[in-house]
Amino acid sequence: MTRRERRSLDVDRYREWKGAYLPYDIVKEATIALGAVLALCLVLTILLSSPDERPSTVQSWARTDPVDFVTTATTELDGSSGTGGYGPPYNHASVGQHIAFIYLQKWLGVSHPVDTARDFVLAPLRSITSQPLLHAAVTAYQSASPAQQAKWSGAYEKGLAKASSTPGGAISVPGSGYGPLPTLMGGLLSFAQSGGLDGALLTNRQFYQTDYTKPLLLMADGGVLSNRAHAEHLLGTQWGMMNETGSYPGQVWLWLYTFWYQIKPFATSDNADILVMAVMGVLSLAFVLVPFIPGVRDIPRWIPLHRLIWRTHYRTLSR
Amino acid sequence: MAAVFNLNHHASYVHWHFFQMAVANVVVIIVMLAVFIAAIVAPFPGRRGTHADREA
Amino acid sequence: MSVTEERSWTARVRRRAVGALPPEKLLPDRQPSYVASWIYVFGVLSLASLVVLIASGCILATKGPGWWHVTGIGHFFNSIHLWSVELFFFFMVIHLWGKYWMAAWRGGRARVWMTGAVTFLVAVPCALTGYVSQQNFDAQWISTQAKDAMNSVGVGAFFNLLNFGQMYSYHVLLLPLAVVGLVVAHILLVRKHGVVPPFDLRERVSQEPAREPETESD
Repeated sequence: MTRRERRSLDVDRYREWKGAYLPYDIVKEATIALGAVLALCLVLTILLSSPDERPSTVQSWARTDPVDFVTTATTELDGSSGTGGYGPPYNHASVGQHIAFIYLQKWLGVSHPVDTARDFVLAPLRSITSQPLLHAAVTAYQSASPAQQAKWSGAYEKGLAKASSTPGGAISVPGSGYGPLPTLMGGLLSFAQSGGLDGALLTNRQFYQTDYTKPLLLMADGGVLSNRAHAEHLLGTQWGMMNETGSYPGQVWLWLYTFWYQIKPFATSDNADILVMAVMGVLSLAFVLVPFIPGVRDIPRWIPLHRLIWRTHYRTLSR
Repeated sequence: MAAVFNLNHHASYVHWHFFQMAVANVVVIIVMLAVFIAAIVAPFPGRRGTHADREA
Repeated sequence: MSVTEERSWTARVRRRAVGALPPEKLLPDRQPSYVASWIYVFGVLSLASLVVLIASGCILATKGPGWWHVTGIGHFFNSIHLWSVELFFFFMVIHLWGKYWMAAWRGGRARVWMTGAVTFLVAVPCALTGYVSQQNFDAQWISTQAKDAMNSVGVGAFFNLLNFGQMYSYHVLLLPLAVVGLVVAHILLVRKHGVVPPFDLRERVSQEPAREPETESD
């Protein structure tokens, strides 16, 4: 008998049950299951509730960590921030991640253009009214050569490493040679601390808005979200993908997805995300196609846990 | 609406080499395995049908 | 069959549907005698969790995404929604383990397995869109992290985790429709093919088709 014939016999063997049946109430079973699940949910809700940690805002960030805010804003201005060098879908600063010759991130293009200098710093500053000195500083920065701008921001970033916050909410940056940057950043910091930057980043194009891309990218470039995440064990290196804030159970089903990020080569690769997605894509396909994969589909035969499941049936047969 | 048990505090974690998992998640996995084993092993109430219900 | 019925699309669809799933198969009042283990209840428990999930989601949707942050009753229904998600995955994975060890794809039931597997794979992004729609710190963190995975494979170009409006739309409409559609297909296939029979212990001994008991003893 060929393998195909054997497989076809196998399919016929298990296609239809021609043996005994017993009475069974499917509607009653479903009703009991629904009641049981509802009761379980109620008990868990009453005992444990659910987590709800308040979101960070650009305002709260600028008030509690003004040095980190200004440092991040400076890197947005000179394009050296995470978003500034990200590549698609935000800009063309890099080609993004790839596997061999497959550059999906690049091929799908820049669909959410973000000019970090304009969108996060210069345009919000221009929107502030009755600030002639501030506008003069913006004009001075914009009319300087790229080399001069880089010199100012490079020096300012070095100075920011030694900066400290002052009682009034401002920051003090030692050193000099920063050009108009202290004025620009001082103005942006005040604007952010008053809540104006949150609004400007969200509604600068239209009144009704549900797209939080810009404020979230700005916050993600700084330490405001990652510091909170680190405290809550939500970082990637902390297996954070599976975790929830507080002591709540999280997304346990993501265990295999987050596992790959912990081991080489994924842990140290610049292309970690696309590599992990590729591995999980292959495994997901294999998961769907289990019935067709020799070996994997035969494990239940080799390790007969089914004898335990169907022990009553086998006992009946043997009698 | 306050919960009976407040889980809004820092979690405890299980560490083993590079592996670390929140205790809550470890509990969920252990309970899943226990429930699976129990479901297979626990006796199922026998169902009796009348002669009319049984078919050759 | 009359000539009109032969030409009628409606009659043809009805004949096919009723042929595949006559009422006694759609709502059976009997099951094969081997369906006698607690492992068999995890499918219906997964389904029940999905029903509670959708119902609590509908209640949250009636008052909008900000409601649960500002009222106790809103937070209550958010908790029901969260725990029904946890239970949905809990029961679904145990159901999957059981079906794997029973090799439930046998006897031409590959599509039953496949629809179940795809349901799980679609439920994961459905949950993700829910997590990023919470409008709290957890949503901020998850969206800014997971965006890198989406962007790396180009999906971020048209599926922006940082766009709350888009994510909320996927979460309350598009992905639940997909999950429900897949679950309906999965259940109808189970009803059509029946619950997979046990392994024939004499599989290796003989190539004869399985011998089923003709009568139920005791």
